[in-house]
Amino acid sequence: MKTKTELIKFNQGLDLESGARLDTFDLMVETYGELNKDKDNAILVCHAFSGNHHAAGKSSDNEALGWWDEVIGPGKAINTDKFFVVCSNNLGGCSGSSGPLSLNPETNELYGKDFPLVSVTDWVNSQKLLSDYLGISKWYMVAGGSLGGMQALQWAISYPNKLKKAGIFATATKSSTQNIAMNEVGREAIRKDKNFMEGDYLNHNVKPKSGLKTARMLGHITYSSEDIMDQKFGRKFQDIKSKIEGTVDYEVENYLQYKGEKFSDTFDANSYILMTKAMDGYDASFSSNGSLEEVMKRIKAKLLVVGFDSDWLYPPKRSKEIQLAAMNVDVECSCVILKGEQGHDSFLFASDRYVAIIKGFLDSK
Amino acid sequence: MNTSLTNIIKKWVPEKSKVIDFGCGDGSLLKDLIDEKNIRGYGVEIDHNKIQECILKGISVIEKDIDEGIQDFESCNFDVAVMASSIQCLKEPHLALRKMLKLSKQCIVTLPNLGFWKCRLDLAQGRMPVTPNLPSSWYETKNLHLCTIKDFETLCFEEGFVINEKFFLNDKGAKSAMASIFPNTFASEGIYLIAKK
Repeated sequence: MKTKTELIKFNQGLDLESGARLDTFDLMVETYGELNKDKDNAILVCHAFSGNHHAAGKSSDNEALGWWDEVIGPGKAINTDKFFVVCSNNLGGCSGSSGPLSLNPETNELYGKDFPLVSVTDWVNSQKLLSDYLGISKWYMVAGGSLGGMQALQWAISYPNKLKKAGIFATATKSSTQNIAMNEVGREAIRKDKNFMEGDYLNHNVKPKSGLKTARMLGHITYSSEDIMDQKFGRKFQDIKSKIEGTVDYEVENYLQYKGEKFSDTFDANSYILMTKAMDGYDASFSSNGSLEEVMKRIKAKLLVVGFDSDWLYPPKRSKEIQLAAMNVDVECSCVILKGEQGHDSFLFASDRYVAIIKGFLDSK
Repeated sequence: MNTSLTNIIKKWVPEKSKVIDFGCGDGSLLKDLIDEKNIRGYGVEIDHNKIQECILKGISVIEKDIDEGIQDFESCNFDVAVMASSIQCLKEPHLALRKMLKLSKQCIVTLPNLGFWKCRLDLAQGRMPVTPNLPSSWYETKNLHLCTIKDFETLCFEEGFVINEKFFLNDKGAKSAMASIFPNTFASEGIYLIAKK
């Protein structure tokens, strides 16, 4: 699979929904496959909260497989032999695109906590500039799960003529009260970490690792499901030799400790706060005073909405809401609810039906 | 679905109307209606393989068990709801009909006629009927509420539904004089266009 990773500079800047402006910004972009002559085989893939531009494959032995590697690749559901797949790290992230870890050109210091608040719509606007840069006038599909699904939906709303299809997976038109509540617990854990220093930790050469770790541990519980946790860990005790923490009794505790620890090594706390704020703040109907139908009227793309039975973060009823609003205003939209045992994370895994449905959607006229 | 049935349904569906097909199968009918009558169509289906075929055809399909309720769709203002050969498979056909006429101005229903003479013959011989229209054995059939043409028209009368059009086919899926004159005995299948009074 032909893979290219590139940092792209956008000197035209971007006006953000918050009213702030980035005079210049960078996007870290990874592409797979080749753009054809007509430039009509391009698929934009949008990442979820903690993902990044690295969606598929791996470029070196040390690198982890991309977050959607089960779905993107030669012969896979999103077939890179046929499609040119593009994924960029969202603004405000911490994997190379402009974010809290970048240099603020005005002050020549790291942005840190001063990186402006970004929104799903801002991301979509930045990705629009990316498509202009790549010379892609119409995406064959824009797709994503969770926070990535929100971007796919917003693409269809913001730029109706710039995409043919949208794949909207395991997501909702807005975060629920419960979603916001969960995210706030994560943010609180970070803010109360003594190393957080009100977001100014970079200047003190410390990192609020313990807060990030706690936040991620809670996150992992919400991405999973009761059944999959039972299946994976049951009530098995962790064997003494591989305990990460002395206090750990059960395997599930050790797993969360491990995942949390790993995440806190690589993720940035200010990014965590920005990303979850963007997720909480998203409401597709915001621009039309809460009428989802009103905004969805603009959509011209064909939609595929997929929800998963075991997802309790963005449960199937949230997918059905999107479908119903689409049908109310005559937008072409299919809605399938899959079994998906992995809870919210199911959208990442290439289960047979999921693959067949994505393939069918891509192959359809 | 046989061609005469499809042709009749096509005739009854107005150009550019908004159509929902309950139990849409592989989406063929909707595909035809989209191609020929420029409709805005949605299908409802529960069979996984058929849903996949719909998606491949580019038909908007919703995975849903009709028995679990279709009242969510009331806001959608359909012009025509189609329920082809599936009304007898529902748990509460009369309630489903009421709901369909709440979400759509008109409703096309097709149903196998248990009063068809071959069914009567099977029953007279002490066996459950098996005909081209009712091909499954009693232990395999998905049909829960079979009825005759007379039964269906009685239900429409009792529920206050108006039958705007009706059409009868013999067991070869064709129009026949006998089926039209004595449908309760000679029609293998009935096709109705109903609306609320």
